[in-house]
Order: sequence, then structure tokens, then C-alpha cells
Amino acid sequence: MKEKDGMNVMRESAADIAAASVKIAARGVQVFYGDTHAIKDVDVDIADRTVTAFIGPSGCGKSTFLRCLNRMNDTIDICRVEGRITLDGEDIYDRRVDPVQLRAKVGMVFQKPNPFPKSIYDNVAYGPRIHGLTRNRAELDEVVEQSLRRAALWNEVKDRLQAPGTGLSGGQQQRLCIARAIATSPEVLLMDEPCSALDPIATAQVEELIDELRANFSVVIVTHSMQQAARVSQNTAFFHLGNLVEYGQTAQIFTTPRDPRTESYISGRIG
Amino acid sequence: MTATAQTAAAQTAPPRRSLTVLDARTRRRNAAEARFRLFGLMAIAVGIAALFILLASVLANGAGSFRQTFLFLDVHLDEKVLDKSGTRDPEVMNKVTTIGYGKIVDAALKDAIAKNGIAIEGLTDKDVSDMISKEAAALVRDRVLADPTLVGQTIAVKVLANGRIDGYLKGRVTMDSAERDSNVSPNQLRLADAMIEKGLLVKSFNWGFITGPDASELRPEAAGLGIAILGSAYMMLVVLVLSLPIGVAASIYLEEFAPKNRFTDLIEVNIANLAAVPSIVFGILGLAIFINFAGLPQSAPIVGGLVLTLMTLPTIIIATRAALKAVPPSIRDAALGVGASKMQAVLHHVLPLAMPGILTGTIIGLAQALGETAPLLLIGMVAFVRDYPAAPPEGFFDPAAALPVQVYNWTQRADPAFVERASGAIIVLLVFLMVMNAVAILLRRRFERRW
Repeated sequence: MKEKDGMNVMRESAADIAAASVKIAARGVQVFYGDTHAIKDVDVDIADRTVTAFIGPSGCGKSTFLRCLNRMNDTIDICRVEGRITLDGEDIYDRRVDPVQLRAKVGMVFQKPNPFPKSIYDNVAYGPRIHGLTRNRAELDEVVEQSLRRAALWNEVKDRLQAPGTGLSGGQQQRLCIARAIATSPEVLLMDEPCSALDPIATAQVEELIDELRANFSVVIVTHSMQQAARVSQNTAFFHLGNLVEYGQTAQIFTTPRDPRTESYISGRIG
Repeated sequence: MTATAQTAAAQTAPPRRSLTVLDARTRRRNAAEARFRLFGLMAIAVGIAALFILLASVLANGAGSFRQTFLFLDVHLDEKVLDKSGTRDPEVMNKVTTIGYGKIVDAALKDAIAKNGIAIEGLTDKDVSDMISKEAAALVRDRVLADPTLVGQTIAVKVLANGRIDGYLKGRVTMDSAERDSNVSPNQLRLADAMIEKGLLVKSFNWGFITGPDASELRPEAAGLGIAILGSAYMMLVVLVLSLPIGVAASIYLEEFAPKNRFTDLIEVNIANLAAVPSIVFGILGLAIFINFAGLPQSAPIVGGLVLTLMTLPTIIIATRAALKAVPPSIRDAALGVGASKMQAVLHHVLPLAMPGILTGTIIGLAQALGETAPLLLIGMVAFVRDYPAAPPEGFFDPAAALPVQVYNWTQRADPAFVERASGAIIVLLVFLMVMNAVAILLRRRFERRW
């Protein structure tokens, strides 16, 4: 493994995080889009039952890295991933791993709310249905209700579960997508800028929700908003030009960044 | 800003112009826009006028074929002529040809003329018998053979009038033209006038045109579209059943699963090229492969359907791929994100959303196939077919005609009555196309969802 100056610093602070139980560990991850080297030698340990934020300027590779964690990059033909990413010690890029099973454990919420053009109920029930998580209609109803409750959407939609999911407001749609993602009881929830299409009120609701989800899941959130990272996360990773520049506890990153680039970014000089 | 800077700015600024006065540049731009709009309107007007003229001429020429002139006769089925043996054995009665029946029908007509007191000077027997279509004797014969007990009775029949007489009622034949026509005499027209007065000669809706088989050159009045409609329907069934699943499967594979490499690029280019291949080439292909090599029967809807399937496939594949491409990738991501396999993502989410586009493409392809003539000529669909094809699936292998080929056939014939028939067939074809388009629109509405 290559040793760089910045990496040593990074690894020290990561050691604190690693003290908590590590859910996902990435070592020497490289991502190529055709000839473009999008992610360069990234090492990260993501702790269980915490919120980890990825911040950085546009095009720095944070979303790309996030999509590596549940192999969503597999769908892009020209994308190539190197290195080792483990979930509970198992290599997720192992030849024997079926991405379908992985994605049932590592759920994802996308930047733009993307509910299926089906009813609210069917949106949430889709995951449990295809994975055969429930044995009968009553259990499925139960899972749907629980997921919607945990996504703080139940009270708003309980009377119109058969209404189309696309008919909800933007914030509701995003919470529906979160409900859909947690309905399969994943262990890790990846969120790719989940609030970028939402107004401040909906954002606050989703952030509150993220904080609650921390009790059960390991949440990884990509965000453009440093305030949001500061509000919701316990750990923060700063990406710049495909490098993981700094990774540590959120309070430390925002108050005493060790890398000059991190400091420039959080003080608004680059990005 | 200092005072000096202000004055400097005032000196260099252009003089203020009123908003109510148009400068030359704006006027030119407005004029150009007005010209462009005019061209657009003219283009639309030309298009609408062309469509209107086309429809008007087809309707004007073809509407007549849906109404036909009939004679109402009481025919006495003489046992001496029809069943000399008196056994009522169909085998024996089969020996009496339409000539025998023709005599009976002629006698019935003469009888009717005499009874109604119609007297036309110089009217010959031939004139009288030529009033009736040659089809009439066959009609009576079929009826008697179906029910031999009718022999000896007098039955009321509705028989077709001769094509020229029908033309006279529709204004195609006049006294003047009859003078010069060896097929019809003014005496016959006078007789026709008298018979109309007595209610013996009546125009009514012509079911035979829609359900009947084609007829020979000499009896345009009996020519119908039944076999052509059946043949076209069978072919469309074959095309739909084959091209929809094959086309959709091919598109889904190419769009969602196939790796993007030189080979798939080559396939893509070739599908686009295939859509531009002249249809007659497909006809030659069908003749060589399906008839000469595979040994399928000529003139059969199955062969026509296979050829048209080959022709329709590129259209369906291109439309389906466009529809699949139009589904937002976020839907695929959403499905994959909750752990659906690629096939589940496609079948549960992408395909339903692409359905309106796929169905529209399919129906456009089918409509093209329905109107296609050239390849069918090469595989023998142009043959003269009098027997109805059986019900599917056997019927797919029986000889049949096709609507556009029937139109082509009738326009080749000499008798002017066939012009009316051909236009009538075009109307039927257009109705089929309109129904298919209406179905396409309905299905679109039914499947269309917003996302």
C-alpha cells in the first residue's frame, strides 16, 4: 500500500474511529471511469451505528465512492473499482458476492427523490416483497407501517396508502424513499445528497430522521452542505480531487482541521 | 461616482430612443418572423388540403361499393330441371350446373316482368337474362344443394343485379353510354327504370362486399373483401404474435444487458439499416427462404405474416429502445438500490413505464405491415382465391388474399365497376388503420403514468 504524507495524518485520526466497531472498511480503493482516475487510493473505516458524512467540492468523487459501497457502480460499464472494501470483514467485491444480496444489506437513498410510479404502499413493500422478507399480507402491512413510521411519514400518508407515491411533495417523496430503503432492514444506509432537492423544512425533517436512524443503522451521507454535515454526523471525511484528504470526528474536522486544504474548504476559500 | 465620471458617461452613451418607435433592425426581424409564420401556415394548409382531397376522392369513388343493386324474385324451383330422378340425392343434384339454375332464375325474372305488366319494345330474352348477375344462379344452386327439400317449391330470393345495371342506378352508366356499350342496351336500362318503379330493383347495403370472396372479371357486382380481410387479419395476428415478443426481447437485451462494444454497435447499425430496406427485398427473401427453402405453401397468411414480421421487427426494436431509453435512470437506480436484480428492475419498473412507447411503436409497425403490398405480391398473395381460409391455426396455411393486394388487383381490371370496388377496399383499409391507431391511443392513455 502506498504511503503518502496526508495519509499518515488521516490514519491517526481514523484510529479513534476504528476504536468503535467498524462496519465498512475500505483499503486502497481506486475508481476509474474509462481513463479518468476518479478515486485515488482511499482508505476509510465506517463505524457501526454512527452517521458518517462525506463532504467536498463538486466532482471530488464523494458520490462515486459512496456508490462503491453497495456496488451501484457496477451498472456503469466503463467504471472499474480496485482495492478492497469489506462489510463486517467480508470483501464485497469478492467474485462470489451477488450485488443483489449486498444491496439488501446496504440500502441507498438518492439525490433526487425517485419513488416508483406506484402506490405509496407498493413503494415501501417492494423491497420486502422481492427479498421474501414477509410471509403474509399482515406481516407486510406491519413492515410497511413500521418503515413509514420510522421515516416520519406515517401520519401524513396513513389514509392514502394506495395513492401514487409520485403525487407526494418533494420532502415527502424523499422520506418515502428512505422508508423504502429501510423496509428491507439494511445494516448500512447510504444517502447521496438526500436533501439537495428539498426546502429547509423538509431538510430539517430528514436530518432529524437521519439522527434517529443512527440508533439502528450505520448511515453514510454525502452532502454539499457543511452545516448539514456538522449537524447530523459524528464523523466526517473530506474529499478533494479524488483524494480522501482528511477523516476524523466531525467536531475535530470543523474546529481544528489538520490539512490546509480542509481548512480552506470549510472556511469557504475553495470549493 | 464622481461628477466628472457622470458627465463622461453621459457624453459616450447613445441617444435615448423611444420604445414606441421601431428601429430598422427590429422591423426586419419582425418581418422575417411574419414570413416564417406564413410559410408554416401554408405548409400546414397544403398538408391538410392534400389529405382532404385524398379522402374526398376515395370516399366519393368508393362509397358506392357499400350499396348494391338487388333484384327481388320469386323463383320456382322446378323439379324437372333440378332433380329429374326425384331422389333429392345431393350427389345426383350436383350434376345440374349453374346453367340449369340460370334458366330457372331467368324464367322467374320474366315471370315477374309479365306479372307487373312491364312491356318494353324490342326487349330480347338475352336482355332480360343479362339484367341479373351471373352470380345469381350460383347463389340459388348453393341454397338448393344445402337444402334439397326446397325443390318443387317457390322461394323468394334476393339476387345481385348485373354490374352495368348497378352502374346505371349509381349514375356510372347512362343511356348515351349504353348505346355504345356492347354489354348493356338502352332497352335494359328502360326495363330497369320500370322495375325500380315496381319495387323489383332495389339498392340496399352490400354485406357481400365486406364478407364475400373476390369474383371474376365478368362479375364486379359480386366481388367482395371477405377473404382479403380474413387474410390481412391472419397476417396481422402472425405479425403481432411474432414481432412483439421478439422485438421487445431484443430491445431489452440490447438496451439493458448487452455490453457496449463493437459487435453490439454493428448490430445497432444494422437494425437501423434494416428499417430502411425496401419492402420488396423482404418479399424476395420470403420467397427464397419460407417458400422455396422451408417449403411453406404459397399465398398463405403464415408466409405473409413471417415476411411482414421481418419487416416490422426493426420498427418495433427502434421504437422499444427509444421508449426504454426515455425511462429515467433514477427508476433503475431506485430498484437496484433496494436490491432488485437487473431483470426485476427491468420487468417491474422499466418495462411498465416504457409500455406506452412500445405499444405505439408496435401499432405503427403493424399499420405499416397492414398496408404493405410489394412483398406479398412475390409470395403469391396476389392469387385469385375463392375459398375462405379455415379458422386458425390451420387457416394460416390456407391460401388467402390481403387488403392492399386486393386493391392492387382490382385497379388492374378493365371493368369500370372495379374502380368503385378498389376505392371501397381502400376505405375498409383506412377504417382498419384508424381503428388500430385509436387502439394505440387508448392503450397509451391506459398505460401512461407520470413520474
